Amino acid sequence: MKEYTEKIRETAKSLLKEGKVDIFIGYRKGTVPMMNEPFAVSDPDKTDLLYWDSNCGMNLCNYLTKRTDRIGIIANGCNSRNIVTHIIENQIKREQLYILGIPCTGMIDPRAVRRAVKYREITDVEESNGRVIVKGDGFEETFEKKDVLQKNCAECLHRNPVIYDELVAEKVPEQEGIETFRDVKKIEAMGSDERWGFFTRMISSCIRCYACRNACPLCYCTTCFVDEAQPQWVGKSNDPTDTMTFHILRAFHCAGRCTDCGACERACPMGINVRQFTKKLNKDALELFSWEAGMREDRRPPMDVYKVDDYNDFIR
Amino acid sequence: MTDKVFLKKDWVEALKAARDSFRIFVPVRDGDFHNFHSLEDWTIPNFDFFNTRLSPKSIVYPQSERIFECLNDPEDPGKGILKEAPKDYPPQAIVGIRPCDAHAFHIVKKNFEGPEYRDPWWMQRFESTVLVGLGCNAPCPTCFCTSVGGGPFHEEYLDAILFDLGDRYLARGLTEKGGEFISKMNGGSSADEKSIKEAKGLVAEAEKKVVSRLPFDKIGEKEVTGLFNAPFWEEAAFSCINCGTCTFLCPTCWCFDIQDEVSGRQVDRIRNWDTCMSPLFTLEGSGHNPRDKKFQRFRQRFMHKLKYYPDKYKNGVQCSGCGRCVRYCPVNIDIRTIAGLMNEF
Amino acid sequence: MNEWQPKITTFLCNWCSYGAADLAGVSRFQYPPFFRIIRVPCSARISPKFILAAFRHGSDGVWISGCHPGDCHYLEGNYYARRKFAMLKGLLEHIGIEPGRLNFSWISSAEATKFAETAKIVADQVKALGPARYFIKKRAEVA
Ligand code: SF4
Ligand code: SF4
Ligand code: SF4
Repeated sequence: MKEYTEKIRETAKSLLKEGKVDIFIGYRKGTVPMMNEPFAVSDPDKTDLLYWDSNCGMNLCNYLTKRTDRIGIIANGCNSRNIVTHIIENQIKREQLYILGIPCTGMIDPRAVRRAVKYREITDVEESNGRVIVKGDGFEETFEKKDVLQKNCAECLHRNPVIYDELVAEKVPEQEGIETFRDVKKIEAMGSDERWGFFTRMISSCIRCYACRNACPLCYCTTCFVDEAQPQWVGKSNDPTDTMTFHILRAFHCAGRCTDCGACERACPMGINVRQFTKKLNKDALELFSWEAGMREDRRPPMDVYKVDDYNDFIR
Repeated sequence: MTDKVFLKKDWVEALKAARDSFRIFVPVRDGDFHNFHSLEDWTIPNFDFFNTRLSPKSIVYPQSERIFECLNDPEDPGKGILKEAPKDYPPQAIVGIRPCDAHAFHIVKKNFEGPEYRDPWWMQRFESTVLVGLGCNAPCPTCFCTSVGGGPFHEEYLDAILFDLGDRYLARGLTEKGGEFISKMNGGSSADEKSIKEAKGLVAEAEKKVVSRLPFDKIGEKEVTGLFNAPFWEEAAFSCINCGTCTFLCPTCWCFDIQDEVSGRQVDRIRNWDTCMSPLFTLEGSGHNPRDKKFQRFRQRFMHKLKYYPDKYKNGVQCSGCGRCVRYCPVNIDIRTIAGLMNEF
Repeated sequence: MNEWQPKITTFLCNWCSYGAADLAGVSRFQYPPFFRIIRVPCSARISPKFILAAFRHGSDGVWISGCHPGDCHYLEGNYYARRKFAMLKGLLEHIGIEPGRLNFSWISSAEATKFAETAKIVADQVKALGPARYFIKKRAEVA
C-alpha cells in the first residue's frame, strides 16, 4: 500500500507541475479508523496529503460530473468502470482525464471489522502483507484481509482498471471461481411472501438520509425523483411503502449501469444491504443482455439500445 | 435525594415495574448497533453500548409526525378544514440516554420554545419525558462532550443518572421527575458508602478519557459575513456528498419540512425531518435556490451550529459532542476539523 | 354478487392495444370488467413510476399492452420498453410482488379477440392471487 501511495503522490505532483491536469482527485487519510476522505489537490506542493490503503471505499467518480477542467484521478477496477459509464453517458470527456489506474485487492468492510472485534472501540487499523491489524483500548487483533473484505470486493471479478493512462503497479490476478450472485440466488429460491418479508425487514431501519443515493456516481440527476413535486411519486415521510418506493426506483435507475462498487452500502449509516436490489438488476442485465456495466467505451448501455430478438417470453 | 443501588440481574425487572406509570425507552441491540426501543415484554434491553446509532431525538421529535388532518368529504361540514391530529402525551422515560444526548435536548429546546413561538408537539412531548441518563465509563475517541459544556457524567440536563458499577447500577435522582421515576421502580436498596465512592471515582476517570476537542473559542468574536465568505469553504466541502446522514443522526439538528398528503378522502399534514444538505430544503417556489451549490449547504450546517446558534441564543454551540456525524459521515467530514478551520480563520 | 372484484390498472398504447380494446367493445366481445384503462401514446411512455404508483394506490394487478415488436407507431418505442419491462418485472418479483400481478402483452388494433382473451387470462390470474397485500399505501404510517 505504501508503494501505491508514493506512486500516487509522485504522479499527482508531476501532472500538476507540468500543467497536464488542473486538479488531482484521490483520497487523504481520514480522521477516524477505516475511513479515508475523497480529496482534491491542485497545489503540487500538497500532493503529499494523498493517501491510499484499503479504506478508500467511496467512489471518486461522484466528483467528476459537471466539471469542465482537466482532472487527474485514481481509479481501481470498479471506479474505472464508473469512469467508462460517465464517458458513455456524456458526463465527462475522456480527454479531460488522466487516469492513474490502481490494481486493487479490495476494501476493508468497517462493519465486518467491528463485528470481528466484538464491537470494542477501535482506535487504529493497519495493514501489512494481506493482514489487517486492529487496535483498540487494551487489545490488538490480526485478521486476514480476505476475511474482512467488503462484500462486493469479495465477489469482484474486475479488480484491475479497465481504462487508464498509467498503472501504479503491476496488475493483480483476478479472482477466480467466485460465485458473484450467491445472495441473489438465495433470494430467488424464496417464495414471494418470504421475499417481501426479507426486503421489508431489510429496509425497516432506513431513515431516508439518501446517503446510498448520493454516494453513488450514477445518481447525478439534477432533480431526483424523490424531490419531484408534481406529481409526487414518493412521499417524504418514513412511511414503509414510501421507503420501499425509494429503494425500488433508486435501484432501477441504476439498471445496467451499476458496477457494484459498494459505495452505497458502505455509506449507509444504518448498515442496510442496499446492494441486494442492484445485484438482482446486475444479474438480469448479464443474463438477458450479456452486459456488465462500464467494461467498454464503444458500447451503449443496455437500457439505451435494443435487439429485435430480445427476451420476449414474459410478454403475451 | 437518596441514591439507590440496583443489582444488574434485577435491573430489567425493576424497570418493568415503572411501566405502570411510564412508557419506557431502553437501548436495544439492533444488528450491528443499538437504538432506543420501547420496553415491552419481549424487548431485550442491552445497556452494554457506547451510544445508540440514532440519537434519541425521535422519541420527542419523530422523524415523521402527523400534525393536522381533515376529511375531504363533501358531506363533512368540516370539509377541508385542518384540525390538530389527536394525540396524547403520556409520561415517558428514556432510560440509558447519554449525557450528551440529554444536553442536546436542552440545545434544541431553544428553538422549539422561544419568546414568540412554542412548538406544541415538541414541547408537550419533551415535558412528559423523563431523562434517566447513563454515565459513560468508556467515552469514545470521537466524543468531545467536555469541550462543549457537557461531560461523560454531566448531570445538568438529566432527571436522573445511573452509574454502572460492574454488577450493579447506582441510580441518583436529580430532579423531582427523576426521583419519582426511581421511586416507581421495583426493589433496589439505598446506596452504601462504598457504591457512592465508586461512582464518584468513575466520573474523574471518565473525564480524563475524553481527549478529543471541538475548537471554537475564537469563532464567537468573528464577524459573521467574513466567516461566511471565508475562502476555505469550497475546498472543505469537496468530499461532501450532501446526504442527510449527519443531520439525521445528530441529536441537535431540528429542521423540518411540512408535507400535505391526500389518501382518498383523508388529508394529512405531516411534519418530517429535513436536512440543510438537500437542495430542496431551500428551493423556492420561483425556482430560485439561495443555496444552490453544495458548498453553500455544507457551510450552512457548520455556520448554523458554530456561529448563528451561539450568536443568537448565547447558549453555547449547537453541538453536544456526541460524535455521531464524525463516525458515520460516509466521506469523513469531521466537525472538529471544520470548526478548526473556522476558528483559525 | 358480493364476490371480491380485483382492480387492474391497465395501460394501453394508443395505436394498437387501445384500438383492440375499442374493437372488442364494438364487436361486443365479453371480457371481465376489472380493468381501469389508461391510454398512453406508446408502451415506451410508461415509466416504472406509473406501475409503482398503480400498486401503491391499491391496484391488485397491472396490465400493460402495446404494439407487436416491429409495429410500433414510433418504430422502436416498444423495443426499448421491452427491455425496461423485463428488468422491472424481474426486480419487482424479486422483492416479493407475486408473479401474475404485473402483466404484459402485445396486441394489435385488429386483435380484438386476443384482447378479450388476454383480459380473461390476466383477470383470472389476479383473481387467483386475491387482493394485493404488499406495497400499498393507504395512509402514511407515521407517528
Ligand atoms: S448502485 Fe451502489 S454499487 Fe452500484 S454503482 Fe451505485 S454506489 Fe456503486
Ligand atoms: S443510506 Fe441507508 S438509511 Fe440512508 S437512505 Fe440509504 S438505505 Fe436508507
Ligand atoms: S454536530 Fe455531530 S457531534 Fe455535534 S451533536 Fe450533532 S452529530 Fe453529535
